Amino acid sequence: MPHQRLPLRFRLRRLYVTVMFAVMGRALQALSEVDRQSRREITALPHGFVFELTVMPDGPGLAVEHTGNGHLVYHRQPAGPVDLSIRFKHISHAFRVVAFQEKTAVSFASERMVVDGNIAFAVRLTRVINRMETFILPRALAKRAVKEYPSDLPITEKATTAARIYLRILTHPAGTPRTQ
Amino acid sequence: MNSQYYEFFCPVKVIAGHAALEHIPYELTGLGGSRPMIITDSRVRQAGLLSPLLTACQEGGLEVVTIYDEVPPDSSTAVVRDIARVYREQDCNAILAVGGGSSIDTGKAVNILVSEGGEDLTQYSGAGILQKPLRPFVVIPTTAGTGSEVTSVAVITDEHKEVKLPFTSSFLLPDAAVIDPRMTLTLPPMITAATGMDALTHAIEAITGLGSNPLSNAYATAAIRMISQHLIAVMDHPRNTEGRLALAQAATMAGIAFSNSMVGLVHSLGHATGAICHLPHGLCMSLYLPYVLEYNLDRIRGPLGELLLPLEGAEVYATTRANERAEASIRAIRKLRDQLHERCDLPRTLHETGRVRRDQLDDIARLALDDGSILFNPREVTLNDTQAILQRAWT
Repeated sequence: MPHQRLPLRFRLRRLYVTVMFAVMGRALQALSEVDRQSRREITALPHGFVFELTVMPDGPGLAVEHTGNGHLVYHRQPAGPVDLSIRFKHISHAFRVVAFQEKTAVSFASERMVVDGNIAFAVRLTRVINRMETFILPRALAKRAVKEYPSDLPITEKATTAARIYLRILTHPAGTPRTQ
Repeated sequence: MNSQYYEFFCPVKVIAGHAALEHIPYELTGLGGSRPMIITDSRVRQAGLLSPLLTACQEGGLEVVTIYDEVPPDSSTAVVRDIARVYREQDCNAILAVGGGSSIDTGKAVNILVSEGGEDLTQYSGAGILQKPLRPFVVIPTTAGTGSEVTSVAVITDEHKEVKLPFTSSFLLPDAAVIDPRMTLTLPPMITAATGMDALTHAIEAITGLGSNPLSNAYATAAIRMISQHLIAVMDHPRNTEGRLALAQAATMAGIAFSNSMVGLVHSLGHATGAICHLPHGLCMSLYLPYVLEYNLDRIRGPLGELLLPLEGAEVYATTRANERAEASIRAIRKLRDQLHERCDLPRTLHETGRVRRDQLDDIARLALDDGSILFNPREVTLNDTQAILQRAWT
């Protein structure tokens, strides 16, 4: 059967997921630069560890690399071998998560995604992603994205950390670590 | 709109009941397995559990080519390689795994090597590596607890790197699980109690976890009812064949349930405690179950309250107010633990085990946070949470 062009709404959905993954990748890099707690989590990963979050069969996706001391660097595509891969089985599953229609944890528990790699590291990175979403999303949206919104996060810390993350997202190209 | 999505998969043929062992020759022959190898451990052989199996095979015209009975409690890649070598030397073409979790996991891993070829098991570690069906593989559980006979996972220790390697693939699932009451009839009281609580925990976490779904809930609820009705009866009358069969079936049903909805924080804490203090898995489940349910209570009040019916029966369920049933379910589990403690001294607290030091609790709390099961727990668990649960479970 000849390959047909998808209707516009499906192409827009793919574009939305692509953009959100790019934002998430940059936000993860920024979070690792501004948040000590996240760095503590990431430090346990081996130096050079590459994590990929992607959609089957051929993307879109994001990759982050641990460059040491808890710092992550975002790549649009992994340059080399991937140590931990989380792959959504379909673009519609990824859309549900990045459009905050379904919590990441629920999507994972429902087997909408496949994990390949060290599960302990996957658990750590899930906590980091949750923390990133807690900071960068408005409280109402964050509650829909994470399993449990932290009750002990002061509004001032959320606002200042979010501002610092967004500033870095807007001013920083992919694949380049920020000079400390 | 209900947006729930789930997957449910269990292609294992369950052969259960009296004289189920006698069905093995027919089953294996139908699978093309004319030269089986038995993989088991020394305790199974010493308990005489192989005797009815070997007789059943002999009577059915099936030649058991060789028996490997030295599977250790924590099997390794070296053990798997060794067994695979024997399998090839003896020109076997099927595997019969007899025992608990370790023998069954070893059987799964050996099946990878003898089907895929090679000596290096580590290259098959991870999810989805296997791409085609393996050799005929039949499992005969002897512990009524792990549910390994219906799970698509095996865990084997890499003796060089000293890490546990997970193997996940639907091709690891056995072709058949044979549940015969003769295989659990001589199980000692402590192991009967611990494995029963293991199966109960599988079922309860399957229902109360994030991956809960209608099909696995049906299996889990039935498993809870059977365990509640038969565990104490079997403790009082160990040679109660009907009760033994019910517990073995319950363990398999709980295994089907949790392999399709996963488990939660009880397992995270249990895995960490097992790794640090070397306590048996079933005992760890029994230790933590009520404390974790209390911790999760606000999120699981509905499903936990409904479990009062299979746990305590219709009369207690009907006479308990709807908003008090969840707490009553936890009380029922505590009562069951007390009854087991009376009968075989199954510890109810970490202190009672005599094998956990208070200064190890922090290490357990931290390790539990990195366990994969924690992703399926209904609450987001922090270090403070695991520390608090461990303190409550201490005394």
